[in-house]
Amino acid sequence: MKIVLIVNRKPYKINVEPKRRLLDILRDDLNFIGTKEGCGKGECGACTVLLNGRRVNSCLVPAFQLEGSTVITVEGLRNWKVFKPIERAFIENGAVQCGFCFPGFVISTVSFLKEKSSPVTLDKIKTAFGGNICRCTGYTKILAAIQELADQKDIIDQIQEDWKNEFNARK
Amino acid sequence: MKPNPKNFRVDAAEKLHGKTQYIRDEKIEGLWYGATIRSPYPRARIKDIQFNPDFDWDTVTVVTAKDILNNYVSMLENDMPFLADKITNYYGEAIVILAGPKKDNLDEAKKHIKIQFEELPAILDMLESETSDVKIFGTNNLFKDILIKNGDLEVAKKEADEIVHIEVRTGFQEQMYMEPQGIVALPEKDRVVIRGSIQCPYYVKGALDTMFDGKKEITVIHVPTGGAFGGKEDYPSIIAGHAALLAVKSGHPVAFFFDREEDIQFTTKRHPSYHNDTAYVTKDGKILGLDIQMVLDSGAYCTLSQVVLARAALTASNCYYIPNIRIRAKAVATNIVPPGAFRGFGGPQAVFAIEMLIEKIANQLDLSPVDVRRKNLIGLGQQTPTGQILKYSVSGKETFEDVLERSDFEIKYLDFKKNNIPILEKLSKGEYPKQKRSDVLRGIGIAPSQHGAGFTGTGENVIKGKIRVEINKNGQPVIYSAQTEMGQGEVTAFQIILSEALQIRRDDVIVAEVNTDFVPNSGPTVASRSTMVVGSLLVDAANEIIREFQNRLKENGKIDFEYRQGYFYSGEKIISFKETAKMYSDLKVEKQYEHPPIIQFDDVKWKGDAYPTYSWAAAVAEVEVDPVTFEIKVTKFYTTHEIGKAINYDQAVAQIQGGSLQGIGYALYENIRAENGKFNVQGFSDYIIPTTTEMPDFEVSILENPYPFGPFGAKGLGELPLVGAAPAVVSALWMIFGREFNEIPVLPEDVFSLFY
Ligand code: FES
Ligand code: FES
Repeated sequence: MKIVLIVNRKPYKINVEPKRRLLDILRDDLNFIGTKEGCGKGECGACTVLLNGRRVNSCLVPAFQLEGSTVITVEGLRNWKVFKPIERAFIENGAVQCGFCFPGFVISTVSFLKEKSSPVTLDKIKTAFGGNICRCTGYTKILAAIQELADQKDIIDQIQEDWKNEFNARK
Repeated sequence: MKPNPKNFRVDAAEKLHGKTQYIRDEKIEGLWYGATIRSPYPRARIKDIQFNPDFDWDTVTVVTAKDILNNYVSMLENDMPFLADKITNYYGEAIVILAGPKKDNLDEAKKHIKIQFEELPAILDMLESETSDVKIFGTNNLFKDILIKNGDLEVAKKEADEIVHIEVRTGFQEQMYMEPQGIVALPEKDRVVIRGSIQCPYYVKGALDTMFDGKKEITVIHVPTGGAFGGKEDYPSIIAGHAALLAVKSGHPVAFFFDREEDIQFTTKRHPSYHNDTAYVTKDGKILGLDIQMVLDSGAYCTLSQVVLARAALTASNCYYIPNIRIRAKAVATNIVPPGAFRGFGGPQAVFAIEMLIEKIANQLDLSPVDVRRKNLIGLGQQTPTGQILKYSVSGKETFEDVLERSDFEIKYLDFKKNNIPILEKLSKGEYPKQKRSDVLRGIGIAPSQHGAGFTGTGENVIKGKIRVEINKNGQPVIYSAQTEMGQGEVTAFQIILSEALQIRRDDVIVAEVNTDFVPNSGPTVASRSTMVVGSLLVDAANEIIREFQNRLKENGKIDFEYRQGYFYSGEKIISFKETAKMYSDLKVEKQYEHPPIIQFDDVKWKGDAYPTYSWAAAVAEVEVDPVTFEIKVTKFYTTHEIGKAINYDQAVAQIQGGSLQGIGYALYENIRAENGKFNVQGFSDYIIPTTTEMPDFEVSILENPYPFGPFGAKGLGELPLVGAAPAVVSALWMIFGREFNEIPVLPEDVFSLFY
């Protein structure tokens, strides 16, 4: 089937099997290799992307649900202003090891910070990131970075602004 | 102890940007995919392989055992074939491999291959292996049988007030690296190039050199690796062999990219173990003698089991001084997927077993488990079971006391006991045990642990690891070593070591890609050896570079130069390292490792310095058990590690957190069993590894106690954090229930069955 979807601000017209996974479309057809596959069954979060503003496991989304959708991968996030401070927080907290889970964590971080309303506790972060598995780190440093970001008002504001630029511009 | 300033990792930004290319991210022109047809029986005779003529076999390339020149994976025993020929020895053993450009056509091809089997009796229980009529290996199915003796057990028996006995079991554990196994073989004229997610490129090269009988040149290139934990130590040799065979036969690059299910079902795991241990003790808890028997389920082929067994046996007394000891350890064959390396490498099994024995001693003699441990901890000048006298960098007592104090162990122990009394009473009376949400059972447990750093016994002297440092034309030193980055921070650590030894900026040190055409064999990236052993070579190289530059400067100007803080001085002359290095950019320095002569081991008699040194740790786990659901959760985890010197303090903490959580998973969640030889899990949904909801709060502390032969005093770290975590967690369950726990993983149903 033919579908049109927007990935990282660029529209793509593609011809795909209806059941082809968004993950394969991104990685194999469009060469957005930042998104990783850890399980292929919606169990690990390595393939997390933003689909129409919501975080999803791209290994679970079939092509036939994608017509007209907007997808953001880690490659797209790199252009957001808020990416710099997010990157810095993960680096300075020593959060990254093998890195395979990280594109997923970065996407989930943006989505989490965007939804954040009240002050964030560590327990809230733990619950929110239960779907992103990391085998290397023991999570402590990852969560410390996220907590640090959540506590900074200017970062939350920046996310809201970047988000608006990304999604509302096209509506 | 003063933490170093944070040394941010050099590889973090690329990884966060999603720019780091793991093997599946590479675009390889004309790539074919590999697939495997596996045995559906634990043991069977292969009678016939039929290729249905209805299928167009020109669309794929097929390889079977008869296509292979030397059909064995070169490892310790050379008993494992790349492809089973007449007999298959485990469920999932590879029999036929095929490759083609399209995955669906490959699936179709697989359906058109019919293998006829005659099922044979199999060994599925490790304790039946030695006496079974079925012979998998040799005459008695023993891959290795080790006996270590020190002192005289008869003396201990005579003097003991009490005999304490326990049987202990530990299960399989899957490495569960986030990136599944992935290898690509690229055929060239007389050469095959292997790229992939590989821990030990020279292992793969050795295996392929042998497989092709030297008729192909082999190049192995390490690609950024998404975790390994031992799981990419020995296993990649097999699939690299498969990919290479198909690549040569088809003329196309061939990839084996396992999906999670294939990975979890058919690749190596941690060896399950059985222990039958007896302690001879005085009534105040001093251990006079230990009689230890352990068996490791080593699966259908030997892989690395002999060395895993050696480490398990050599770790059997953990951090304790035992005057009279006998350790009998066996690695037995079964018709199950061969286990292999996994962080800790036999240590976690051995340490879990003795820690449960200690709990039982305390329980049986009505002593405090802390006191029993404290009374027996080994110290400087005392002997290990191989008669090794600990001469330096011993911190079993210090780490133990540090973690006790930091965790307020003694106070919590009493508080938690008090908290538990009414809940336990209700439970044993069969009443509903929970009045309010906070009515949970609370436990606190402790376990010390140690890990011998570097290869076991004479291993380092056999492999004689070699590195090279070259100066490039920009005046930067470039490190050529075979050590691989799998996430543990090796590249950053090597930059730190060399730059500090040369007193130059970290960014001015370059670490070359690990390509066997260019890097010397510095040994595998295993056994917590990279920082300590290979790192010490880097310091040697740095000293030689400085000396060499001084010599050359002198030749040039006929005056002596002193080196300080990155500058060569002589009278009024001053020249920076970089300027000097640019002038002499042809310099190459090679260094080869050999044990300092005071380290001696006899691996026939099992006497002497089993490891050059040990790293030490002690962990305290606070645990909650819900009295209704019996869910077990570690809420706080304190651990104190002594690793000589932390080269990268922040990342050492990171290793400790990550390794500890794997150990917590080993204790409580990670449950995988071979049912009739077939593993009963498929992925993350049925093989549970800890997520953010299972993680405890970590309180990590690092003590320093330099090892005289490590770089700046550093010892090994990578494996230790996993080793002592499980016994600390289960120790807390002994404390809550006052009952014996002797098997991991401990699942809610195991606790439930104490009451119902
Ligand atoms: S790959 Fe999609 S959730 Fe694991
Ligand atoms: S950093 Fe390796 S899986 Fe998260």
